[in-house]
Amino acid sequence: MAASISGYTFSSVCYHSANSNSDHEGFLLGEVRQEETVSISDTQISSAELLQVVEIHNHDPCAQLFSFYDYAGKINEETLNSILKDRRKNVIGWYRFRRNTQQQMSFREQIIHKQLTQLLGVPDLVFLLFSFISTANSSTHALEYVLFRPNSRYNQRITLTIPNLGNTSQQEYKVSSVPNTSLNYTQVIKEHGAEFFDKDGVMKDIRTIFQVYSALQDKVQAVCGEVEQSERVKEKNQEDVNKLKQQIALRKRKTAEEERMLREAQNADSHSTPEENTEPSEASPLSRITFHTPSAPERPSTSPNPPSYADLLSQDDSLLSSSSPPTSAALLPRPQAVGSPGHPTPSPLGMGLGLGLGLGAGSNPVTTPSTPYLGNGDGSSSDSLDRQAAGQEDDEDDDDDEEDEDEDSSEYENLVSEAAHLPMVSASVLAQGRPAALSPDGDARGSQTT
Amino acid sequence: MNNMSPEVALNRISPELRPLLCSVVRNGRVGLDSTNCLRVTDLKTGCTSLTPGPCCDRFKLHIPYAGETLKWDIIFNAQYPELPPDFIFGEDAEFLPEPTELPHLVQWDAGNPECLLQLVKELIQQYHHYQCQRLRESSRLLFEYDSLLEDPNYGRNMEIYAGRKNSWTGEFSARFLLKLPVDFSNIPVYLLKDTALDPGEDVALLSVSFEDAEATQVFPKLYLSPSIEHALGGSSALHIPAFPSGGCLIDYVPQVCQLLTNKVQYVIQGYHKRREYIAAFLSHFGMGVVEYDAEGFTKLTLLLMWKDFCFLVHVDLPLYFPRDQPTLTFQSVYHFTNSGQLYSQVQKSYPYSPRWDGNEMAKRAKAYFKSFIPQFQEGAFANGKL
Repeated sequence: MAASISGYTFSSVCYHSANSNSDHEGFLLGEVRQEETVSISDTQISSAELLQVVEIHNHDPCAQLFSFYDYAGKINEETLNSILKDRRKNVIGWYRFRRNTQQQMSFREQIIHKQLTQLLGVPDLVFLLFSFISTANSSTHALEYVLFRPNSRYNQRITLTIPNLGNTSQQEYKVSSVPNTSLNYTQVIKEHGAEFFDKDGVMKDIRTIFQVYSALQDKVQAVCGEVEQSERVKEKNQEDVNKLKQQIALRKRKTAEEERMLREAQNADSHSTPEENTEPSEASPLSRITFHTPSAPERPSTSPNPPSYADLLSQDDSLLSSSSPPTSAALLPRPQAVGSPGHPTPSPLGMGLGLGLGLGAGSNPVTTPSTPYLGNGDGSSSDSLDRQAAGQEDDEDDDDDEEDEDEDSSEYENLVSEAAHLPMVSASVLAQGRPAALSPDGDARGSQTT
Repeated sequence: MNNMSPEVALNRISPELRPLLCSVVRNGRVGLDSTNCLRVTDLKTGCTSLTPGPCCDRFKLHIPYAGETLKWDIIFNAQYPELPPDFIFGEDAEFLPEPTELPHLVQWDAGNPECLLQLVKELIQQYHHYQCQRLRESSRLLFEYDSLLEDPNYGRNMEIYAGRKNSWTGEFSARFLLKLPVDFSNIPVYLLKDTALDPGEDVALLSVSFEDAEATQVFPKLYLSPSIEHALGGSSALHIPAFPSGGCLIDYVPQVCQLLTNKVQYVIQGYHKRREYIAAFLSHFGMGVVEYDAEGFTKLTLLLMWKDFCFLVHVDLPLYFPRDQPTLTFQSVYHFTNSGQLYSQVQKSYPYSPRWDGNEMAKRAKAYFKSFIPQFQEGAFANGKL
């Protein structure tokens, strides 16, 4: 058998008792319930333990001693009823407080207990004995309490637990199973509960949080859709790229074939005709091969005055309309924190690649000793773009991150896509070991700073 | 706190409860062993610690019973002194008397100073019944008890303590304390008044301890109140026979009783005999008597003259006279010894028979004096100095 009493009931009993100038007694109200614990162990499949739990909800102090019994200890049932009134059915025990005495049931208490057991019809009536011990010089007082179960032959003392009284540093605060039966409490909760609870009895905060959660989920779903779309676009562009590559290759072969035949024809014709026609013919395939990318302005490395951001943007638009296939590397969305403004979108990809390709076709490959070559798949270098993007990235962050900037620029493959958005090129980045392709740094920076 | 004198206890107790406790500590004698009063210890209060004293209202009462001391807690409430007390019966957790058997509880009258004492006596009675009930666990002991109960001499004055069962061996022990119906009233007063303590009632108690339920280990002991003990010649005179194995109390106790009675009779007789002896000497020697013990008749001094030789005769009568012979001490009135004392000679053996009456003894003593005196005279002249 176990017993528990809520902290406030216990303190209330103690308060009543300690303030009385003599012995004090009263009744304990509550309920008794059965708890069944089923435990499974290795040795047994299951064993059920039945535990009787006594819960003390409230107490009813008696106004004076001998209020319901006479000198011989005989209980007067009418007086008892008038004291208990309708609480009689809730009585599960009674208590007594006496100072400076032993923790043992006294003669009269035993007699009364027997009668109460019979009259109230509670077979396991409990008796709570409080004893207050003071030292001789009143320096220390101890309140001792023992819960008895006198009607059973063995185990007459039961431990009484008070939830949350004790060492709470290692346990969390427990919500007691002892309900609060106070009328005032229920009234207040009823009045003000509507502010916290909705009609189903669920806390409103929970609903709000749930709504936020749902919204987030929707957004995630939407992003998933967009990702899917962009993947499809990418796939399509990739197919186009492959087709065009094939066409290029085809045309090359054709041209080569034609030339060969022409040469053979020429050779056959006459050995006298000069071969100056080859150059233009050589030049023309190149020019033909070259995609219609804008010339110098897109290549900041060749012009002394790199184009301004506005120019770049206009180029972006033109590029976007073209069907230039994007580079795979540039398409990966850069991981970024949610809520940050710099979330990349797949739209400017075409521009970036176009730039990269343009550069790559016309310029020497730029060696960047500190970063691995992450060029576009077709051999063009996207270094300059990386640098540009890196520089812009650097501007975004603190300026003291330059070195990291160099080393990390390799990670920023997708910054190619952002180049259009990001306005600035950091001079410092360009200054560090990026050879030749770009114009003098100071100028680059100066001209491009907005 | 433990050996508290009654006065200290009375000072500390709440004034309204004082009369009740007074009668307990001053006059309270409960049970057979009433040589000691009831003792009170561990006075505590049931009021808050801020209550000004004296306000003690609960204490432990030590009650002698069947050779044990019961320690019962008595709980009053100083704020409600008209209410009857509550009790905690110490280790006897199963002792639960029926309240209807305690009239002084049912009609508790706080105005009657004797009420508490009477209630305690009633409780002791109930306790005694409770203990007798416990004897039922051993048929042998129950038989002893029943047989004693039937004898009106012992049945009414019996205290039984059926001891706790030894939880290890399951042995059951009991102690019977019986008051022996011996009449001490004829013991001469002079024998009894010598004790320093308040003698109280003269009582002889026989305690028989049964250490096991089969009565194989039985230890009897006789307790006499101090004055009786002194009157009978001290503790060395108390030899009681051992408990016969296989015997029973109903045979043994009368035996002891008889022994004691005989001794008492003897002492009484001795007194009378001595008185007779002295009376006879007085009549025989008349003017020769210097002094004699007129209370206990234990001593007699005579001044006699034979052929102008005066001498003193001191007669010392022993306790068990006439069984034991009186001692005669002759003393010269003229001669001194080296140490400055009067020269004397002690005679313990002379013609004597306990069967003679006083007169006969006086006559024979006279004859002896006559025969012995020349010898004494010579000795005095030879050894003593004038």
